[in-house]
Amino acid sequence: MIIKKTTLYFALTFIIIVAAGFFLLSRGDSNQNATGSVGSGSVQKVVIGMKNLNYYPNTIKVKANQPVRIYLDSSVTGCLRSFTIRDFGIAKYLKTPDDYVEFMPTKKGTFRFACSMGMGTGTLVVE
Amino acid sequence: MSLKKFMKELGNDKIEGELVKTIFISLLASFAILALLYFFKLRYVENFIPKYGIFIFLAILGYSLIIPSVKHVRAYKEFACMSGMMIGMTIGMIAGFLPGFYLASTNGMFMGSVLGMALGMFLGVWNGKCCGIMGVMEGIMAGFMGGLMGAMTSTMMLNDNLRTMAFVVFGISAIILIGLNYMIYKETREMETSENGDAFFTIFWSILLTTITTWFMVFGPRSALFS
Repeated sequence: MIIKKTTLYFALTFIIIVAAGFFLLSRGDSNQNATGSVGSGSVQKVVIGMKNLNYYPNTIKVKANQPVRIYLDSSVTGCLRSFTIRDFGIAKYLKTPDDYVEFMPTKKGTFRFACSMGMGTGTLVVE
Repeated sequence: MSLKKFMKELGNDKIEGELVKTIFISLLASFAILALLYFFKLRYVENFIPKYGIFIFLAILGYSLIIPSVKHVRAYKEFACMSGMMIGMTIGMIAGFLPGFYLASTNGMFMGSVLGMALGMFLGVWNGKCCGIMGVMEGIMAGFMGGLMGAMTSTMMLNDNLRTMAFVVFGISAIILIGLNYMIYKETREMETSENGDAFFTIFWSILLTTITTWFMVFGPRSALFS
């Protein structure tokens, strides 16, 4: 039986895709979430949700020099899960409601927090 | 001149008959270099397969469809303005979108956009010049847009079904590139090919693109989102 050239190349292409796919698509633990370091002293926990396509509440008051831990609940979706506070060097992708960012607000004042694309914003007041 | 006839031409001795063979050679070369890189370096990278495997796999499949299209265009060299513009736009857009999408999935939007735009604009111009300055301009613009859009799409889907979307994007791109090959075939029936191209062209570009993409994915700079 004569196999046509094109059929042969189709078959070989299919085989190589399946073989490489079997190797490269095997999945393991690909959880890339990072969690912040735990600070000393009692931690101020803040849970932020989402309302009207923005963070809610979008004004948060915390005490200075006491660690702050911010969680995003399950209502927060899309790019808003990528949480940033530029003034404190915070930029984390919080994949699940259990992930958080933790930092020490060492300076008093009003700071802006936002998603990485600037589509959701809010204010952090350090007193 | 139907699609059925085009499928028959895939077995002839002209450039159309080389397309499936080129896909095969491209895949073979890309996976061979990936296997070598894996053996010597990448296996020491933590979580290499779960983190990068799917995106490298799809990027290689994407390149294996882009390279035959480039070869197809180069075989005829000169096209009418309308066809040349479509060629520059299609190749620029897809060659920008796919690497941009896959690289941004692992490294963030900056790296994805830069590589996507660079590849998209380069390949867009290279192929678009088959009809002169209009094709070149079309290739530049499409590569620029495709690179940015691919990276932006994947960044915005990080919390959504990114991996599924990666397959969807590849599937649509594959259909578009096959459509481009059919269009080139339809537009060039009266023309003689100036060259059928050799396997070296396919192997060289497959190895280069795969190596660049893999290297940037694993060792390239990352945005704050992935640090």
